[in-house]
Amino acid sequence: MKLLNSSTVSRNSRLKLGAIIVALAVLIILPLCIESDYIKHLLIMVCIGTILGMTFSMLYSAGLITLGAAAFYAVGAYTSTMLVTSLGLSFWAALPLTIIISAVLSLGFGAIFVRNAGVAFVIITLIFVQVIVIAAGQIEFLGGWGGIMNIPRPDSLGPVEFVSKRDCYYLILAILLLIVVIYNAIYSSRIGRAWRAIKLSPNLAGTLGINAYRYRLLAFVIGSTTAALAGCFYAHYFQNITPGAFAGWLSIYVQLYAVLGGLEFYILGPAIGSVIMTFVPEYLRVVKEIEPIITGLLLLIIILFFPGGILGTIKNPPDFNLTQLKSRLNRMRISKAQGDKS
Amino acid sequence: MLLEIIDIAVHYGKAEVLRDLSLHVAEGEIVTIIGANGAGKSTTLRAISGLKSVSAGEIKFNGKRISGLKSHEIVRLGISHVPEGRRILAPLSVMENLEIGAYLRKSKKEADSGFQNIFDHFPILRERKNQIAGSLSGGEQQMLAIARALLNQPRLMMMDEPSMGLSPLVVEQVGMIIKEINGRGISIILVEQNARMALNLAQRAYVLEAGRCVLEGEAGAMVDDERIKHAYLGG
Repeated sequence: MKLLNSSTVSRNSRLKLGAIIVALAVLIILPLCIESDYIKHLLIMVCIGTILGMTFSMLYSAGLITLGAAAFYAVGAYTSTMLVTSLGLSFWAALPLTIIISAVLSLGFGAIFVRNAGVAFVIITLIFVQVIVIAAGQIEFLGGWGGIMNIPRPDSLGPVEFVSKRDCYYLILAILLLIVVIYNAIYSSRIGRAWRAIKLSPNLAGTLGINAYRYRLLAFVIGSTTAALAGCFYAHYFQNITPGAFAGWLSIYVQLYAVLGGLEFYILGPAIGSVIMTFVPEYLRVVKEIEPIITGLLLLIIILFFPGGILGTIKNPPDFNLTQLKSRLNRMRISKAQGDKS
Repeated sequence: MLLEIIDIAVHYGKAEVLRDLSLHVAEGEIVTIIGANGAGKSTTLRAISGLKSVSAGEIKFNGKRISGLKSHEIVRLGISHVPEGRRILAPLSVMENLEIGAYLRKSKKEADSGFQNIFDHFPILRERKNQIAGSLSGGEQQMLAIARALLNQPRLMMMDEPSMGLSPLVVEQVGMIIKEINGRGISIILVEQNARMALNLAQRAYVLEAGRCVLEGEAGAMVDDERIKHAYLGG
């Protein structure tokens, strides 16, 4: 029995390793096989979306739901842009500085926000992202509502010039993979375990000696700093930023990536969600104006029928029956009614 | 005195659920708190472990004031709380539950020796170590919760309704585990609706009614007390 167990475990891990190698090879070869610059652009946006989705999942893993995933994405984009355009720093100097500044800022804001986990946190983050957008729009120095144009591309590194979409793709892929490795290590460490305990039961975590406030703050800082890193890349890749690019819908999309892929899969979930949400609307040629309607509908359908997302549904296929759905709807109605009362 | 509670009051919103409650636990003692549903037994434990703040009075552990501290600070001082109801992290494996319980252990080596110790005392947990905790039987889940609390090397362990939902045979087992833990010099506060089991295990008992202590004394004497018999032992 024991022998069988250990052999299946090693076979599983071998399979996992094989899958990772294949996936890496595909990600690296992909841009070489694709002619269209537009599709390369979409691939880059998939990478950015995955990173942002992963930050949402990190907060979720600690029992925090954010509607402001884009807030520090904007902070990172603006910080790096100002460092490069106003102070004349190179991209490679601005990048670590952006990370440090965002970490300090998120520590300051997080220390206040995280104090109220639960609904209060959701609302605070929602307001926070709006405040950031409005602040960016109102402050002349930051380019106002028109934003900032002609942001330089990342400076060349030896022979690599980051002019072509291909080089930019490799840069964001490298950033993404680095983040995946770091996140994976965190999730399997004592920090990840503490987050899981806090998410399942903050009180129980407390009685086991875990300081829920401090660990939630840590998740907020790591997630926000990661989002800022993605924002830094985005600004120099896109070469212009406007406050509108970071407004409300983006945070909803980021949430959708994580929910669609599978909320309990903190790395693979956002990746799958991001691929689908980037490519499917493109190929359906959906008119931009009705996209939010479809997105909202999709979110509803997932929550009602596939609460585990794609990966969760594959892992535990739901047996469809109407009574189950009815009881779920009923529960939602009850909790809504209770919410209205309080 | 290991634990001293002096005239505490606890409020949930405007409702006063504990009033003028005083209680003490000596080193190495098993003390039980019995009472009906809603008498304030669990709230007392929650107040001690810092999950609920007291609105009056104070709680001292080892002569040091602990009321006002956060729960994660209090457990560091040596008070482990096995809360009622869902006491395990059901979606995680048994081992992961224990790893989270070993959170306060400084090094991996120290944690490993803690696990070893646990597995020696609860062989069933070693067998089920890779199983999802939610798939354990009620008694095994209770053992896991107790084992996890022991990992923090407490001087005082508080158990909230450890017999709840268990079959009589398993309740007896849990009782033996409690005795054994106490035999290692760990003081215990036992909150129970199953008053007979609690009074058999404990040296002293407190009876709560509507948030006030109405009776305290030797557990042995209480088993024979007519009022207790009538109210809590069914006849």
